[in-house]
Amino acid sequence: MIQAGVIGVGQTNYDSKRRDVSMAGLVREAIDHAMLAADVDWDAIDAVVLGKAPDMFEGVVMPELYLADAIGAVGKPVLRVHTAGSVGGSTAVIAASHVCAGEFKTVLTVTFEKQSESNATWALSPRYPYSPHINAGAGGYFAPFIREYIRRYEAPEHIGWKVAAKDRQNALKNPLAHLQIPGIDEKMVSETPMLWEPLRYLESCPSSDGACAMVITSEEMVGSRKVAWINGMALRSEGTLSAGRDEVNPQAGIDCAKDIYQQAGIQNPRKEIDCAEIYVPFSWYEPMWLENLGFCELGEGWKLTDEGVTRLDGSLPVNMSGGVLSSNPIGASGMIRFGEAALQVMGLAEDHQVEDANIAMGHAYGGAAQFFAMWIVSSSKN
Amino acid sequence: MSETKTNLLEAPFELSYKYKRSSGPVMSKFFEALGDKKILGTKSKAQKVFAPAAEFDPQTRETLTDLTEVGPGGVIESWSWVHQPSDHHLLQIPFAFALIKLDGADTAMLHMISGCQESDLSIGARVTATWSDTPTESITDIKHFTLEL
Repeated sequence: MIQAGVIGVGQTNYDSKRRDVSMAGLVREAIDHAMLAADVDWDAIDAVVLGKAPDMFEGVVMPELYLADAIGAVGKPVLRVHTAGSVGGSTAVIAASHVCAGEFKTVLTVTFEKQSESNATWALSPRYPYSPHINAGAGGYFAPFIREYIRRYEAPEHIGWKVAAKDRQNALKNPLAHLQIPGIDEKMVSETPMLWEPLRYLESCPSSDGACAMVITSEEMVGSRKVAWINGMALRSEGTLSAGRDEVNPQAGIDCAKDIYQQAGIQNPRKEIDCAEIYVPFSWYEPMWLENLGFCELGEGWKLTDEGVTRLDGSLPVNMSGGVLSSNPIGASGMIRFGEAALQVMGLAEDHQVEDANIAMGHAYGGAAQFFAMWIVSSSKN
Repeated sequence: MSETKTNLLEAPFELSYKYKRSSGPVMSKFFEALGDKKILGTKSKAQKVFAPAAEFDPQTRETLTDLTEVGPGGVIESWSWVHQPSDHHLLQIPFAFALIKLDGADTAMLHMISGCQESDLSIGARVTATWSDTPTESITDIKHFTLEL
């Protein structure tokens, strides 16, 4: 298999309303940043891979048709990926897979969401004839899983507040992050209204506009550029309502993580991975995924969070950029995790850089915690 | 296969939402100009003019920001005659959907031609914009195109 690497990451700034640009302009902004960072021109791009979350979010069905000009896809192959909230991660994996397979030498991949054009909670809450209408969106859907996690492992209430405060403190070091809340702390989080019990307002992700793009290329094309080598990547899926499925600790997440660790030759993720960007749209998903990803035993995740292990200055920093809790352009949110992991091992994460980060994880989940996308990037080749 | 009892579930499934579009720095000027009875195109570095205004050149991939006025006259590139308009059509008398290359433009725009018979139309025939008296800064500020006399 051909070794692939990320040579450019481009992001827009994230905001509740990017009314200054069209959808096409937003996507192009991230692409321009990524191509500039990668130092490549359009002739070098062999294919474009576009991802975004459900089309109903903006009401533009099959946006790859309208966006073909903006993403420079004319005369090139274009692929569109969709796996709900994990799509940013899945799109990166699909793009990189085509490089590893030798199909394309250099791929431009881009993901976006322009939530200001609609209302995701509305779009996620259609009326079905066979169930009472809930209109609760993602937070309402995940709240019972979080309740069950707290019950299983007797986790104290403040863990959620701690994650929410920590990620927003990190966001203050990332000028692109949407939520910038000076003085944010656990107390401030704990005093916000209960949205979906046990989740409070500030324990939930914002609704953002934004786009993220990456240029991924084969080893022979890297040259003297800075690169994040992709040493492991995988996707796994589950059904929404499959009988016997454990929504708190989904098997697909466990299997996906094991797969990338094996590819990257990682025996002990807690010791060998320097930092991770994990998809945490609601505070409690940090400890839940720490366990699911094998960073610790079941029931130990909340203790790592409580001990400060996942802080920017901890031994396993998580969501250094501020994470999904600070910026959530849904379709792009997974790719931001993957791109931020790449920036860490390239040493380009500026104020939220983890010192000597050589191995980083990017993670995304989507749908009813049923789609998983992950990768391991490193400053050295496999 | 033996005949089985069919139990059809029928329930209303209605979805509607008022989406908002941010038209961005280029297209917002295109829409504003329509309110002033002007049609804007965008010009590439190679002097190719896209009308209606486009944000990106498909071939060179450059970002287009140079706005230039085109029309209001132009020529028919192709058309499709609508003999019996349906309720959803904007015009309720027979008309043509047409691709019209406006004067000064290198690309064609889709609009309608009214006030004529099908036999009056031909590729290359000249048409000009007929404007709405109540502009809303949208594409329907051009009510339709009319054959030039």
